[in-house]
Amino acid sequence: MKTRVGIIALVSVLFLAAVAVIGESMRAEWQHPLPVESKSVQAFSTPIESGVFSRAPRALAYVQSGKNQGNRTLKQYYSRRAYAGAPPVIPHEIFDEKGFGGKGCLACHAEGEFVPKLKAYAPVTPHPEWTNCKQCHVAKEIVAPFRPTSFIAEKAPAIGGAALPGSPPPIPHTLAMRNNCLACHAGPSAPKEIRTTHPSRVNCRQCHAAIEEGKQQPGFVDDWRLTQ
Amino acid sequence: MPTHRRDAIKQLITGAAITAAEAMFPGISFGAASKVEANLPGVDWKKTPCRFCGTGCGLLVGIKDNRAVAVKGDPASPVNQGLACVKGYHSIMALYGSDRLKTALVRKNGKLTPVPMKEALDLVAAKMKQTIKDHGKDAVSIYGSGQWTIPDGYVASKLFKGCIGTNNVEGNARLCMSSAVTGFMTSFGLDEPMGCYDDIDHANTFILWGNNMAEMHPVLFSRMLDRRLKNSDIKIIDLATRSTRTSIASDRSILFKPGADLAIANAICHEILRNGWENRDFLEKNVSFHTGKTNIGYGTEDNFKFEEKAETIDLAKYKALLADYTPEKAELISGVSANDIRYLASLYGDPRRKVVSYWCMGFNQHVRGTWINNLVYNIHLLLGKISTPGNSPFSLTGQPSACGTVREVGTLTNRLPHGEVTNEHDREMAAEIWGVPVENISAKPTFHTVEMFRAMDRGQIKFMWIQVTNPMVTMPKLKRYRDAAKKESSFIVVSDVYPTPTTEVADVVLPSAMWIEREGMFGNSERRTQHFEQMLQPPGEAMSDTWQLIEVARRLGYEKQFPWKYENHIQEIWREYGKFQAGPQHNMATYEELKKNPGVMWPYVNGKETKWRFNKKYDPATAGYNPKGRDDWNFYGKPDKRAWIWFRPYEPPAESPDKEYPFWLNTGRVVEHWHTGSMTRRISVLHQAMPNAYAELHPDDAKTLGVKNGGKVKLTSRRGSLVLPVAIDKRGRPPRGMVFVPFFDENLLINELTLDAFCPISKQPDYKKCAVRVELA
Repeated sequence: MKTRVGIIALVSVLFLAAVAVIGESMRAEWQHPLPVESKSVQAFSTPIESGVFSRAPRALAYVQSGKNQGNRTLKQYYSRRAYAGAPPVIPHEIFDEKGFGGKGCLACHAEGEFVPKLKAYAPVTPHPEWTNCKQCHVAKEIVAPFRPTSFIAEKAPAIGGAALPGSPPPIPHTLAMRNNCLACHAGPSAPKEIRTTHPSRVNCRQCHAAIEEGKQQPGFVDDWRLTQ
Repeated sequence: MPTHRRDAIKQLITGAAITAAEAMFPGISFGAASKVEANLPGVDWKKTPCRFCGTGCGLLVGIKDNRAVAVKGDPASPVNQGLACVKGYHSIMALYGSDRLKTALVRKNGKLTPVPMKEALDLVAAKMKQTIKDHGKDAVSIYGSGQWTIPDGYVASKLFKGCIGTNNVEGNARLCMSSAVTGFMTSFGLDEPMGCYDDIDHANTFILWGNNMAEMHPVLFSRMLDRRLKNSDIKIIDLATRSTRTSIASDRSILFKPGADLAIANAICHEILRNGWENRDFLEKNVSFHTGKTNIGYGTEDNFKFEEKAETIDLAKYKALLADYTPEKAELISGVSANDIRYLASLYGDPRRKVVSYWCMGFNQHVRGTWINNLVYNIHLLLGKISTPGNSPFSLTGQPSACGTVREVGTLTNRLPHGEVTNEHDREMAAEIWGVPVENISAKPTFHTVEMFRAMDRGQIKFMWIQVTNPMVTMPKLKRYRDAAKKESSFIVVSDVYPTPTTEVADVVLPSAMWIEREGMFGNSERRTQHFEQMLQPPGEAMSDTWQLIEVARRLGYEKQFPWKYENHIQEIWREYGKFQAGPQHNMATYEELKKNPGVMWPYVNGKETKWRFNKKYDPATAGYNPKGRDDWNFYGKPDKRAWIWFRPYEPPAESPDKEYPFWLNTGRVVEHWHTGSMTRRISVLHQAMPNAYAELHPDDAKTLGVKNGGKVKLTSRRGSLVLPVAIDKRGRPPRGMVFVPFFDENLLINELTLDAFCPISKQPDYKKCAVRVELA
């Protein structure tokens, strides 16, 4: 009996030692430094126009969420920009100065949820694939300029401008960084004046043509202009 | 291609609409409908490189009625592919500060007084003549910049070096990238990177050495992030002395003690050789080993001299010298764990990894700047991971034409548009192209930038013409050099677009035409030359720096050397300058090709850009040297046709924290402001985002001091002191015992505190390392 207990104890000790040794040597192997690295891989839910519905698991639900429509206006939209087409400034406190993409701005601006803290729907970025957000979008810490400026911003492009009564209006702005139409034209954070009536038809450029840049327009256009 | 498709769709739709309309209402023409509402009607889009950093993004500027109204990234530019940064998007607003200099100013009874441009140019010429007559040609000098267009730098060099005959020609790139130049020259015998930005699309490993690319080269950083998003197994490693946005976005952030990059790089080489990861075949055919002088000093004393003494060694000797740099020993110097150093070595050494190393001011503004540039080349050379797509040691630049103008035109005391003033052949070539007697061109370099300002303080330099730069914000140990500029014996001419602390010390201020208000060329970090046309009329009497120099040259009697008509002078200057660079090693594109393309990379040979130099697959200059077994590479810059590996030891910074001054002071930039902020602070969006400088502290240090965010601290160094608001965990987080301050703010001049120690080889000051005391203010 004593011998049996002794053998069992010995075997147990040897087994534990073996586990410890193998474990340690494996750990040493693992220590060859390849540390765990995190990447912010995003699953975007807003559909991108250039690939219809390509990131759309919840897209329709979002763009058609009609019950809580936001009240953003086109005037507000342009008030964040130095000129039509300039990257908008960040009108709220920056929650993480060093933060990046998915862990920072995109937490709200990828999908445009309602942000209770700011009591507003976050506008959706048309280019969530660029994650160094603060490369182009900066805060507004103060109001006073360093020196006065004589820069005059152009009036924003007019909306409407359909060639024929009832025909689809063309796209009056450039598409650089803005080729995801629904980001600005659908959903509760879209400015009211440019919110589409038919967000489920996501192949926008099937009907809305981009205008050749730099050409003067003749008649046929809405004369109404936005003042900034 | 997308544009065509879009056009086609547009035409199709409008065409169909017109046809339908015309069928419905016969007799009424709807043709006009093909020109419907335009994006920003009446706006004409023209291409230009961005005015700011050395990335050289292509921009399209919208012009309407002689005003710049909008900017977008140029999708045709291979650099930025349509993306820009916040500075680029708002760059045009820098033209419209209400205090633009529109008339010349001359100091009369101590006050800058407006005078006609002609009178000011007459005075500048007269003063130069008189100074040369009374004190000799080496009493006059010109201090330009990496924002000089190529024609600006070229005419400056021709006037001062060729016609007047003094080598008193320097540029602020001396403060910004001369260590990169001497690094290239000592390792390869030829300046500027062998690779290009295309390497981003081929590499899977990016190692950033002391540069905060997320803020300072955001467009290139975004290209890297974009590549990582779309591909697995891409790694970005941030090696730095403080945590920044770049650290957060990277896969690994490794912090090291200031100046210890020397030890880390050596330890990486040690590990590569210990594991046998080196590329023996490449080394045998293409590399030679060398040592240089050690204990080389810091240049803090006037008239400091340094002469390199190189000795050729072999791989075995090199290996033996590296014995002092085991990862464990490097850990003691750098504070980086031996394991992390091995990890870095394993990333470089892994045969499946294509590695790009990026660096900028962390390496260059370094008392051993040349050495640390050499050391990163050593790593790439040991592995043969160089100048192939995706394997690239790449030195980034901070100014739009630091490469194009200061380095290529050679607006440094020792350089000529082709070669060195000390080389007889180079002088003969310059004399012939310039149409001056060869004796005119002095064979002796005079003063590098810091020494030039010291010479002004000593009264040796009586006249300095400063163009497109703001040394009264950027010089280290600023007080000494500001006092020098204010001396009665110093006559200062400043060409600029806004009042700055430098115009405050000027005797004459000349209003300059800025960027797209004149025609010119910039050269970016990847050897890409970009042309921009004159798109706007400059305000008032403002005149391009090129034309200011030509006007003064003619007044000095050099009409023969400066004969060009205003209408085509840029084209003519480009043609003449091109003669210096002819040949497969540096050939430039023609004026017509530059106008057509979104930049052209040199060497541009037989209508083809060279993307990877020294590599026989890509570089036509490698032809003609093909000894047995040397069929892949030709490092033709060195006489032995090899790249040089230098053994360079660790040596400590010039000034380190001690009991009395216990903190490191590190200075640098922020994404919103470009250098001294004289342009970007006048862009409301940028100033409102970043209104003033600050002192960034570690939260624990702030706690110990008892200061909160926005509270005030007083920084004091052996040179001066400054009170700043504190920023805790804003842009960055320095380690304990370091304070970081950006230098853009002319009201909070941090360079009052910095030290004018420099790399003895490159003469570039170290703005990243000196000792300060931090107290509650």
